[in-house]
Amino acid sequence: MKQTQKYFPLIPLFAAYLFMFLLAENKEGMWQLMSMLLFYCALGQAFNVFMGMTGYVDFGYVAFMGVGTYGMALSITRLVQYEFLGAWILVIGFGLAMAMSTLLSMAVGAVALRLRGAYFAIATIGVNEGFRFLIEGARIWNGSEGMIFTADLNKILGRETAAALCTYWADIMVLAIAALAGFVSLVYMRSKIGYALTALREDEDAAKVMGINVTKFKIIAFITSACLAGLLGATAWALKTPYVFPPEVFDIHYTIEAIIIVMLGGAGTLLGPLVGGLVYGISKYYLSIFLPGFQLLIFAPVILVIIVLFPEGIVGMLKAKTKGTGMERFVI
Amino acid sequence: MFFEQLGGNLIQGIVLGAVYGMATMGLSLIFGVLKVVNVGHGAFIMVGAFLTLFLFSSLGINPIIAIPVAFIVGMGLGLIFYYTTIRKLIKAPELATLLATFSIGVLLEELVKLIFGSEFRGYNWVVGKIDLGITVLPMSKLYACIGSVLIAVLLYLWFKKTRAGSAIRSVVEDSEGARVCGINVGWAYALSFSLGIGLTVASGVLLTMFIPVGINPYMGGAYTLKAFVIAVLGGLASPYGAFFGGLVFGLIENGSYTLFAYIPGVEPFALTRFLSFVILLVILLIRPTGILRAK
Repeated sequence: MKQTQKYFPLIPLFAAYLFMFLLAENKEGMWQLMSMLLFYCALGQAFNVFMGMTGYVDFGYVAFMGVGTYGMALSITRLVQYEFLGAWILVIGFGLAMAMSTLLSMAVGAVALRLRGAYFAIATIGVNEGFRFLIEGARIWNGSEGMIFTADLNKILGRETAAALCTYWADIMVLAIAALAGFVSLVYMRSKIGYALTALREDEDAAKVMGINVTKFKIIAFITSACLAGLLGATAWALKTPYVFPPEVFDIHYTIEAIIIVMLGGAGTLLGPLVGGLVYGISKYYLSIFLPGFQLLIFAPVILVIIVLFPEGIVGMLKAKTKGTGMERFVI
Repeated sequence: MFFEQLGGNLIQGIVLGAVYGMATMGLSLIFGVLKVVNVGHGAFIMVGAFLTLFLFSSLGINPIIAIPVAFIVGMGLGLIFYYTTIRKLIKAPELATLLATFSIGVLLEELVKLIFGSEFRGYNWVVGKIDLGITVLPMSKLYACIGSVLIAVLLYLWFKKTRAGSAIRSVVEDSEGARVCGINVGWAYALSFSLGIGLTVASGVLLTMFIPVGINPYMGGAYTLKAFVIAVLGGLASPYGAFFGGLVFGLIENGSYTLFAYIPGVEPFALTRFLSFVILLVILLIRPTGILRAK
């Protein structure tokens, strides 16, 4: 495969994101739906980096988004007094969000990634709850009261810029994270990391015997995925809605949604999270109008059917369909 | 004063721990036989709790009678889920069963929410209490504890004395070997899965005696986590290990609560929940095969 052709699948991915952005820009009343769809696509893309590529499922994934939210919240509330920092506070916030989610993922990974399959899932299932109860129980970072920092954000950026950040720029940043996560996924897929992870997903013992350092590659995927989640929490939660409450940012609901999106679209594919995010987001949007609160009741059996009958997901099936045609190099 | 309080809490811990243990036996049984981790475990406990609530509040049926009812309902649910999903996924990668049991849990939660709504509920079964000097124990909790021990003993005898029990034990040892000896392994899987779910739903009945107003469609998540801690304490694949793991966990939970309450400025209840997560990670780190199990 030629060097440039390797990155062809990014064309449909980025085209879709660009189309979504232009549609939201130009069509009245679309922005809200689009910001939700972008959030789900970004969530799926970030989650897919680990779950899709390794075949390990991290039930505590939302914890990384939670600590990312706290990273941004802490730098805003603690640094607001240093006025000379100005908008750099947000940059520091992103750095802190990434650092905190990376640290947590290293701590969890150090225990969980030594374990296989079922034991891994058991080790991760309590991470979000555990972290939430640590914050609430030890009353760190304001404990269960959480933090509201709308006023601090206004002070840093001025009222108008802050409002524009919450309603417009935060969504653009989510779009950027979705694109970044897609790009990183493809770079991984097309490099040694991706091949190693595919081998590991298919047969971990065989991969080990062939001399692949499976632990190393698992850790790379785990930390990357966690770091992206931290960024997503810092933008989609901390900047878009400038407050943080432990029960909300550590809610397992978001892990459920990430699993639905990735399985629906196709685990381990590049376009899967995009397709899954769109299908899930649009259905959720219309279900919340016609049948509010029913989306999980509908999606839980859908996921069961997918796991039993179509484990490769929508894009996985498309991939099989386009095999041998000219479209092949765009769909992955 | 401190020791009285600690002693009282530890007695409560043993009583609760027996029920915790019984609530985890189903998880361990299913993992031991099918090698399937039931990530939706807590949702089945929640179903049992709602069944008790419904039988007690609407039909006036005594919670003790709810135990066999819940067990039968649970076995039915187990059979349905086994034949519709789990059976087809036994040979698939582990990811499939993890996601499937997780989705089953979400499905049950949403179904119950649809029927009963999402507010916290409870019921009040007044059967008196006994005063032990250092602590007062409601009779309902004592009944739950006795019920748990009885069920555990019955399960033990069933495994040891009946043909079906021996068949399942042989499948745990070596499913290929069992197949060669003429045991219908598929049937042993179905029976173990439905038995495990039945035990779990029945344990939901017993747990309601400890949560006066805590019945809610999403209550299961906390019990899933606790059940994993307990199961891992007891070695994950052994139902009896799980029972003793439950006793240990009940003691740890209530003992640590007493200690945390002495630290100023913290919320002791939240910290006990955090502690259970830490225990889980520590056990998995040092000895994933279980603390209580002899090598």
